[in-house]
Amino acid sequence: MTQHESKITDPKVVVEGVSKHFMRRDEELPVLEDIDLAVKPGEFVCILGPSGCGKSTLLNIVAGFEKPSAGRVTIEGEEVTGPDPRRVFVFQEYGIFPWASVWDNVALGLRNMTDKRKQQETVEHYINLVGLGGFESSYPRELSGGMKQRVEVARALAVSPDVIYMDEPFGALDSLTRLTMRAELIRIWQAEEKTILFVTHDVDESIQLAERIVVISDRPGRIAEVVDVDLPHPRDLGSPEYGQIKNRLYELLGVSNVV
Amino acid sequence: MSTWPFVVMVAAVFIQRTSKGWSEVAQKVVMPLGVAAIGVSLWQLGCDWAGAEIIPTPWRTALAMREITASDRLLGDSLASLYRVTWGFLLAAATAIPLGLVVGWSTRSFWAMNPIIQGLRPISPIAWIPFAILWFGIGDGAGIFLIFLSSFFPICVGTMAGVRNISLVHQRSAANFGVSGFELMRRVVLPGAMPQIITSLRIALGVAWLVIVAAEMCGMDSGLGYLINDARFMGNRYDLVAATMMVIGLIGIVLDLLIRRLENFDEVKWGYVKQ
Repeated sequence: MTQHESKITDPKVVVEGVSKHFMRRDEELPVLEDIDLAVKPGEFVCILGPSGCGKSTLLNIVAGFEKPSAGRVTIEGEEVTGPDPRRVFVFQEYGIFPWASVWDNVALGLRNMTDKRKQQETVEHYINLVGLGGFESSYPRELSGGMKQRVEVARALAVSPDVIYMDEPFGALDSLTRLTMRAELIRIWQAEEKTILFVTHDVDESIQLAERIVVISDRPGRIAEVVDVDLPHPRDLGSPEYGQIKNRLYELLGVSNVV
Repeated sequence: MSTWPFVVMVAAVFIQRTSKGWSEVAQKVVMPLGVAAIGVSLWQLGCDWAGAEIIPTPWRTALAMREITASDRLLGDSLASLYRVTWGFLLAAATAIPLGLVVGWSTRSFWAMNPIIQGLRPISPIAWIPFAILWFGIGDGAGIFLIFLSSFFPICVGTMAGVRNISLVHQRSAANFGVSGFELMRRVVLPGAMPQIITSLRIALGVAWLVIVAAEMCGMDSGLGYLINDARFMGNRYDLVAATMMVIGLIGIVLDLLIRRLENFDEVKWGYVKQ
């Protein structure tokens, strides 16, 4: 990629003063308070916080599924007003369609492609990339949780999105599958150079994946701190730097002296 | 007083108990047969107690069954009933599914249409018989109209419920990939609601088969319901009535088995397995 020097530092996704309030009965319930965030192109950012801190709400606002009560989100200077096929969301609870085969699910974003051979090639490429070659005609109910999540990742990648939003995508998987999926995600991210915003409540997951970790405080969610993870992949989970970052994150989340 | 019912019942109970160690298939065949044998025995005892003028005996009913199956009328009347059910049901499905999809998906159409649908739904199709005959006369038209009415509401309400149960994640997936308009209906709303649509079709076909018999008894000159009326009024042949009732039950079972095959398609199986 030959990008201009100044372009690289131009932020891709900008969140400016975003707040969100929900109305419950007659009471106003603040969920997010004044979030400012800039994500660079190709960056892998984790949004880390306890359950119910509003981190998923933040991701839904950035993706255009929900409107902020105040503030705005821009991508390359353009305000986000709704979901867009250039930016794809990977859901925690399987957003792939159970009524469609693996092939049809992955082809969803390419359904209007006129060049059917190109379409066939692209779909095949991404099915193979996530290691599901041979399962093209299977239906989601015949697949394990990890395989379903890979189908969803392939569906997202197939449209060559600029940005991928992931909302605890591996939350429902067992711990071994989760580790494999993280390694594969890093491999895909390095190969495809996508911008990724990844929501999680798992401290280890965020250190294993992200270049920067945005720590959100308990409700109402505010940015407590942005922690840089300056470690090369594959990351050594036993290194002192890893331990330091982990301690810092636990401190920020207010659980440093619990265990 | 016949003694065979007692013998049969003792034997049936004995076989039920000894079949415990048999293969699953054998048990599944033998046990319902045993229950049926006990049922026929109780039936015979009922005849002995009340008199064969009130309840036709099992043997008389079996002879009547042979009599009606040998005549041309059974086939003709069965086909007449099935013809009305088929057309009424297909017309209802062809209109109720699209309406249910739209009303289930669009909140404003739901506000507009739902109170009217819910208000018409509890009216028994039987209550429509006077109008059916007034508008369509004695014949297939009235029958088809009544079956249409009886199938329309279960299918429409089932489709609406299916659409409204489509998960937010799937709606957002569709929105994310820019699926909208007619394509949204075809790719997301219809397949997402399909398992519940099929369940509603099953219910509607069952109701249709109940209603057609009643309709034919009230105002038609052919069909299985008319056959029952005929047997009753032309010489109190209650054995023929009972035999016709059995035929109605058997056809009902076959219709349900046929429509249940829709549940086996890969596109809808997900809706019937516990996730």
